[in-house]
Amino acid sequence: MEHTSLAVRNISKYFHEPQRFQVLKNISFDIKKGEFLSLVGKSGSGKSTLLYVLSTMDTDYSGELYIHNEYLTGQTQNQLAAFRNLHIGFVFQFHYLLPEFSALDNVMLPALKLGKKSKEEIKEKAVENLRLLGLEEQASKLANKLSGGQQQRVAIARALINEPAIIMGDEPTGNLDSKNTQIVFDIFRQLAAERGQTIIAVTHDEEFAKKSDRILELSDGKLL
Amino acid sequence: MSRSTNSKIAFAHLTSRVKQAMVAMLSVTFGISMYVFMNGFMTGVNDTQTDLAFSTLAHIHIYNDLPEDRSDLAGRFYDDSHLVHIRHPKTIQYTEGIKNSAKIISAVEKQPGVVGMASQVNINVFFKNGAAKKNGVLSGIEVTNEDELFKTSQYIIAGSWGELSYRNDGLVIGVGLARKLSLGLNDNVVVVTDDGVSRNFKVIGIIETTLAGVDNAKAYIRISSARQLISKNQSYVTDLQVNIEDFEEAQKVASTWAPSIDYKVESWMEANGQLEAANELRNIIAVTVSLTILIVAGFGIYNIMNMTVNEKIKEIAILKAMGFESKDIVQIFLVQSVIIGIAGGCVGMVLGYLISVAINHVPFEVATLDRLPMTYNIEDYLSAFVFGLATTFIAGYLPAKKASKVDPVEIIRG
Repeated sequence: MEHTSLAVRNISKYFHEPQRFQVLKNISFDIKKGEFLSLVGKSGSGKSTLLYVLSTMDTDYSGELYIHNEYLTGQTQNQLAAFRNLHIGFVFQFHYLLPEFSALDNVMLPALKLGKKSKEEIKEKAVENLRLLGLEEQASKLANKLSGGQQQRVAIARALINEPAIIMGDEPTGNLDSKNTQIVFDIFRQLAAERGQTIIAVTHDEEFAKKSDRILELSDGKLL
Repeated sequence: MSRSTNSKIAFAHLTSRVKQAMVAMLSVTFGISMYVFMNGFMTGVNDTQTDLAFSTLAHIHIYNDLPEDRSDLAGRFYDDSHLVHIRHPKTIQYTEGIKNSAKIISAVEKQPGVVGMASQVNINVFFKNGAAKKNGVLSGIEVTNEDELFKTSQYIIAGSWGELSYRNDGLVIGVGLARKLSLGLNDNVVVVTDDGVSRNFKVIGIIETTLAGVDNAKAYIRISSARQLISKNQSYVTDLQVNIEDFEEAQKVASTWAPSIDYKVESWMEANGQLEAANELRNIIAVTVSLTILIVAGFGIYNIMNMTVNEKIKEIAILKAMGFESKDIVQIFLVQSVIIGIAGGCVGMVLGYLISVAINHVPFEVATLDRLPMTYNIEDYLSAFVFGLATTFIAGYLPAKKASKVDPVEIIRG
């Protein structure tokens, strides 16, 4: 278990509306530290549902979830929120930046919430992250004045600010053109290789999946 | 650190829709200014009413009550085995007025809280001027004490009040009574008591209080002249009027004095229940109306904060995904409504003051008033602010709580 980043055991989940339906069926797997993993599957296969279970945001499941050997199943929402703040970074298909804030402020937000470093250190780190993603020019612009690709990169910079062990993406390139998709992919690749951060991305982009370290495919709620 | 982050987000939300925030703020402003104004106005009206009432009414009144019911005199001395029947009983003699006033006066003077006292000899008389005849009350008074207690001199419309103190034949008469008897300043008037004694007085002053009981049926003379008129000694008094520091306390004070004084000790509330009832009712109206306005303002804030929460629901979801806890979300939205409340409250207090000043300048020439009455109590302003803040807090808390319950998965997955 030394090098295991995330482990799940016998995860099952039901949807209750409109009728009772099993979305995830007894899923168990381990992910190593620094692994770049793609979750693929047809629409309705349960891949996104699985990601949200892994993210700790969805707690309505049966089975066991470990991240960094910490048993997370059954913890309170507030404990999980604190855990996410420290250990997990998110990138979504729609970038969900706070439109009234500048790119820099958006990136700083999770670190300010964590409150472990001084504002100056956080700012320095945020600027560094933006530079890594080629956005140092856009730092002071309001989030809603940026292009889609730029916004997604700001969202990634934000996901990285607390140096989380795991970065999760729900269709992180789903809304981007091929050029920006390539940029995002390269960033993920680099993060996994150089910083040892685990990447879990749900995608239906086969090219993207093929280039990742490992592919988990779901079909009808089961791992293939 | 996270507290200031939450506030920063709250500010960003507020400033991103200044118009809505202004509308919410204005509703609080309006509510609070109405609260301030209504309470100031009602207190003003009550104070005027009280002042007017206290122009003839003392806080505590000590007098010799009518003799008690003596129709069953013999019954006290025989038990039930005897049948007692007295036909046509009548009181042959009873003590009128307060005979040993000096003793009572010195006892009352020693009581804490007494600020003024005046002795009176009130007599029912007929006022005559030629053939014109009118019954009324002749009040023998201690000129300076009476004025200290009731500020009677300010109601003099002709002649002088002070002259009474050295003129044994001087009389100050109510304006209505003077008119009915066709009396003017320096005219003579004959006073006839029920014992048939009559005496000439000269009108040296005319008084107008707007109270019919005074204006149409009362005249003042020196207390010594009154004693002389009914052949009583120098310590004879019919009524002792006492003012205390806080007139609201009169009832309590009266009941503590009662056991040590042989005569009837009556507080103004006991004698004039309707005055106090009217004051209370006006206060209830003021509070009800202004609280209603504040509650309506609260609904306005609730509505606007609810809209904000719905508008920002995706941001709330992402904040929760990033690790913001429920209490952070509550804080973000509560800070907004509290800011609206504080800003609206401060402006509201100023606006309330300005409205009060404006209303206070409206001419209103009825009775002794010439402007609409108004009071400016700091307590009214503070309680308006506190109520306003409490309303915005509650109105803001409900949407904030709702925001904190947002399930991020549901929102992000769409």
